Amino acid sequence: MKRQSLLLTKRSLAVLLFIALSVTAFIGWKLSNDPVIKAPAEIEDYLFWQAKELTDFKLTGADNKTLGLNELKGKWSFIFFGYTHCPDVCPLTLMVLGQAFKILEKNPAVFPEIQGIFVSVDPKRDTPESLKEYVSYFNDRFIGVTGSTADLDDFSRQMSAMYTVHPKEAGQSDDTYLVTHNSTVFLVDPQGRLHGRFPPPQTPKEVAEVFMKIRMFYNERSNKQWWVF
Amino acid sequence: MVGFLKILSSLALGFVASVASADSIDIQILGPWVQAAPPNVKVLAAYLEIKNNGEKPQLLVNVSSPAFDQVGIHRSVMHGNMAHMEHLRELAIPPHASVTLKPGGLHFMLMDAKKPLHVGDSVPMTLTFKNGGKVAVTATVRAGQMEDMGDHQHMDHSEHMNHNH
Repeated sequence: MKRQSLLLTKRSLAVLLFIALSVTAFIGWKLSNDPVIKAPAEIEDYLFWQAKELTDFKLTGADNKTLGLNELKGKWSFIFFGYTHCPDVCPLTLMVLGQAFKILEKNPAVFPEIQGIFVSVDPKRDTPESLKEYVSYFNDRFIGVTGSTADLDDFSRQMSAMYTVHPKEAGQSDDTYLVTHNSTVFLVDPQGRLHGRFPPPQTPKEVAEVFMKIRMFYNERSNKQWWVF
Repeated sequence: MVGFLKILSSLALGFVASVASADSIDIQILGPWVQAAPPNVKVLAAYLEIKNNGEKPQLLVNVSSPAFDQVGIHRSVMHGNMAHMEHLRELAIPPHASVTLKPGGLHFMLMDAKKPLHVGDSVPMTLTFKNGGKVAVTATVRAGQMEDMGDHQHMDHSEHMNHNH
């Protein structure tokens, strides 16, 4: 009797194992074969291998408004690091981003989903109030933020957007030092994850079109995962 | 004759050409413009093409503008995606060659604007070369495009230019 029940148990275990393996294999097959899961080739270069979870951070905008991880959630955020005493790369990139927003904002579904954020890594010269005036020139919905060196270091490290504030050159006034910064436009998804990036030199059309494809892929994938599991 | 400058200026829709006599400094300036920026910005960038039509290399050693406290010759350098600026003491223009200042690369850094500048405003500048030659330039403020980073910096007016010298 004892021997038989043991056999039964063994057999049922084998059956269970078989079912479990089949289900796993099926899901694996489903995932690897589903063309929707793999990013389309034309947006592959703009996406990170894996979206990176961000931890909370603290930056300050005009009227003492705090910008943290919560403010990124629920929206697509286009984030650019720079400083206003940068006459060449910064205004050009913000102008391109402003024009990309003009294209995207024509779509009423997209309009409330996107936000543009300029992070000044030069808090000595850029105040949140002056940043508000600066960014609104490029798009009246853009947000300008900065923070303490520690807070800026934390956030830029998370975003892999390192920067360096250089000492002033000999014979120059205290206000004319230079800053090295990353001129990539970073894309954070509505879950607050670093999702993609637009490396320089960007064009408005490229940013708008690639974003729409990333968004479509993201939405399709979200629906698909919901359906599989 | 050295140091003497005969400047032929042609003003065609914000386009200024300055040609000096051959035995002093034979420099031509093409398509000068200033990148528009928010009115509270103190630092702007100017771009142009400097063409040396002469037999000798020319060295640009100073740039000044009555609209700014200071003007520097700068270069944006990209290391990967990192944008970095370098300050140049001088800029060499080889004989029968031109050097183009354009977004994302060489530019004149206009520091401490005396008043806010808007699209359409004119910015006078004086370029001083090592041999003492000076070239007057008037740049127009306009909104730049990433396409300005490309190789075709000539606008439609370049044809007019050729008739003028």
